[in-house]
Amino acid sequence: MKLSAFNECRQTITDEDIVTAMKKIPGYLDITPSDFMEIYRVAYDHALHRLKHAITAEQIMTRQVISVPETAPLAEVVRLLADHDISGMPVIQPDRTLAGVISEKDFLSKMGGGGSPSFMHVILQCLEKTGCIAADIKKLTAKEIMSTPAVTISGTTPLFEVADIMDRHAINRVPVIDDAGRLAGIVARSDLIQTMC
Amino acid sequence: MSAFFQKMKGGSQSPPGVGFSEIAWSWLGAFLGIIPVALLHYHFFPDGDLVFLIGSFGASAVLIYGAVRSPLAQPRNLVGGHLISAVIGVAAWQLLGSAPWLAAAFAVATAIAAMHATKTLHPPGGATALIAVIGSEKIHSLGFLYVFFPVLTGVAIMLIVALVVNNLAGSRKYPEFWW
Repeated sequence: MKLSAFNECRQTITDEDIVTAMKKIPGYLDITPSDFMEIYRVAYDHALHRLKHAITAEQIMTRQVISVPETAPLAEVVRLLADHDISGMPVIQPDRTLAGVISEKDFLSKMGGGGSPSFMHVILQCLEKTGCIAADIKKLTAKEIMSTPAVTISGTTPLFEVADIMDRHAINRVPVIDDAGRLAGIVARSDLIQTMC
Repeated sequence: MSAFFQKMKGGSQSPPGVGFSEIAWSWLGAFLGIIPVALLHYHFFPDGDLVFLIGSFGASAVLIYGAVRSPLAQPRNLVGGHLISAVIGVAAWQLLGSAPWLAAAFAVATAIAAMHATKTLHPPGGATALIAVIGSEKIHSLGFLYVFFPVLTGVAIMLIVALVVNNLAGSRKYPEFWW
């Protein structure tokens, strides 16, 4: 998350905005617009600091995580993803330690012959070649196409760091693991957006 | 040095004015608040002292009927500011009465410091402290009774009127906080 963007936001408040607000509020406000601006600046920095440090992954993560074991056939993985209308989920070992993450990207990569192809790339291959590669993945399990090791965070990771990690790794969800490496929850981009607003 | 003079330029915008209903409620509150205080004082004090005391309560009226939202106008400040300043004013006269100019300055300055320290800053408190020093012999002879009468009685009347009148106005709410 780019802090500079927030600071620019703050600069957009003008004396005129404040005077307009003061006019709208009935009664005599015993304060000058520049006093308010000063309070606003300090309060804003304080709020930013609070958001940056006080809110942690633990507070916003989803605890009931939809996940699959490593041995799950891809058909089962896809059904779970489709039924829950999600684009990815953690893959876990029997003791609930995290093995990896499986998402649309892994399917596209496998079906597009490696790299990070888009959905349209895969369609293009389907159309130009004699058949689609989907047939090749029928017998595979989650373990064989998942991304591992997965990018993870701990419950105490601050919100802004979570956003930064998603941005840097270009991922849409990040599993939260406890001290023993077991899956504790998951934070999705949408969780972040809901918290920020 | 130039930074020092730069500060005198101001540069900030003055706050907007208030609407007609705000002006009308301020007038009504002050009118109804000062009536009982003035009646009370006309029956107890010679004219000179009356002028002084009404001066102090008139200043309070500006705040509690005219700037209802101000932290300076809240009950903690109104009551605390007047009482603390009254005690300091009487003490200043009794300790330094032989040099009234010194007692007057000491009373006001100490009242401001004490109000700040107790979070009860209320500008008319400065007048209340000053009146205890510069008032007539009748005020001086009251001693610390001055704190209760006329100060506390006047404050209590003004506060009751503020609670009733300010809350009759749809756009007003009083107090913001009690303590």
